[in-house]
Amino acid sequence: MEKPKTSDSLIRMKGSRTTLSRTKYVAINAFLIFHILAISCWCLPLDSPLILLCKQTIRPYFLWSGLFQSWDMFSPSPKAANTYVDATIIYKDGSRTTWAFPRMEQLSLTQRYFKERYRKFAETLTLDENDPMLADIARRVARLNSTPAHPVKTVILIYHWSFIVPRPDGSYVPEPWNQHVLYGYGVRPEDIQ
Amino acid sequence: MTLRSFFAAWNKFFFEPQSPVPISVFRIVYSLLVVATLILLRPDWLAWYGPHAWVSRSTMHTLEPGTRLNLFAVIPQTDSWINAFFWISLGSATLLAIGFLTRFNSVLVYLCLASMQQRNLSILHGGDTFLRVAGFFLIFAPAGAALSVDRLIRVRRGKETAEIRPRSPWAQRMIQFELAMVYFATFCIKVRGAPWLQGTAMYYIYHLDEFRRFPVPAWLLGPTMLKLEGWAALVLEFSLGVLIWVKELRYILLALGVVFHLSLEYSLNIPMFQWDILSGYILFVDPADARRAWSWVRQHLPANNYNPETTTP
Repeated sequence: MEKPKTSDSLIRMKGSRTTLSRTKYVAINAFLIFHILAISCWCLPLDSPLILLCKQTIRPYFLWSGLFQSWDMFSPSPKAANTYVDATIIYKDGSRTTWAFPRMEQLSLTQRYFKERYRKFAETLTLDENDPMLADIARRVARLNSTPAHPVKTVILIYHWSFIVPRPDGSYVPEPWNQHVLYGYGVRPEDIQ
Repeated sequence: MTLRSFFAAWNKFFFEPQSPVPISVFRIVYSLLVVATLILLRPDWLAWYGPHAWVSRSTMHTLEPGTRLNLFAVIPQTDSWINAFFWISLGSATLLAIGFLTRFNSVLVYLCLASMQQRNLSILHGGDTFLRVAGFFLIFAPAGAALSVDRLIRVRRGKETAEIRPRSPWAQRMIQFELAMVYFATFCIKVRGAPWLQGTAMYYIYHLDEFRRFPVPAWLLGPTMLKLEGWAALVLEFSLGVLIWVKELRYILLALGVVFHLSLEYSLNIPMFQWDILSGYILFVDPADARRAWSWVRQHLPANNYNPETTTP
């Protein structure tokens, strides 16, 4: 392969009928080097101060451009519990009902293709850092379950989990289900309009 | 390696003209995956992106602040506009698949995909992320240089000959780099987790009810097999991240990767993820090797009258 002609204003690669202008060649190389280094710094779980500084520096660009990424599915440890989220709905007349996000294990194969996002969503909303989402979710649950004749007064989001405990012989025995209240929301009239 | 040979290798890798057929095939598969993703999202489109979505735009902005490339921030927040966004995304992805106004549609598809993901970050899986990042680099690739309506038009107008001109593959290389990084980063994060090192990770995964798809044979669920499966996944992810660049190992690793992803597709419910990742494998196939393989298949097919002496390649 020919060496790029540094003294020329054009760069021609072997076998090519086209040439890259020197400016374009330099710009593409800068683009490549920057993105290779930036993606490596962003993705690799290295705690060196230099890498952390690099991550901080490129963060605005990555967030803006959509190049942010994380590859931590089932890692560093897979989820060790079966979980789901449902909502207890209390109506103004005092009656109650339970509403649940679609649970993949209760859906047909086709339905799972369309509803899988709810699995991820239910997993995400239980993370502490996503607490600000809970009011929005409670409001939407209220809207979905309210009618003018039968308005919702309170929505309580409940997280359920059952630990997965490895056994020496590889068998699986479901553990009892536990629950805790994620969020309680007093519904306002404007929420269900 | 001298500095001079390093630069020569760099130039060869990123700039030596290659057939644009692999990136064009990738463009078609990529677009079809975007179309499939959109169709699967359609029944809940307004629930995820509408004015009364599960997560409001302001909440998402609170959770994920910063300036972002997000068309949802500029279009009116009404059902009609949000639905129009869906149809524009679907139309653009379809046009990208057939290679009409390829560059324009690659930009538009990327903008739509990035906007959807920025609008609701809480429902994404790795496949979505791969499509987004690969879509960014696809913008810069000669994705319409082959197998496209654009090319047909150029040939008809006499601007191109019937021969497909080789192009600089630097954008294709970046998508390849991204795919390798997916595997290597996954490997690096997994080896930080005790269950992967101890060999119990697969036990947890197989017993997560929400992920279960088709029944896994009982002999694969024994303690020893589960350990081997977990460690094999680590070895394969490392290899697909690092050793994939060694030409002699590439096809063996790609074949193992296909088996790995198809087995996950069978056993785990993560719609589209495996196909999104597998689409990137296309870029690692040398067109000359593909031609040789096709020729071999035609020669060895029963009941064919292929004769390399008389058939024009």
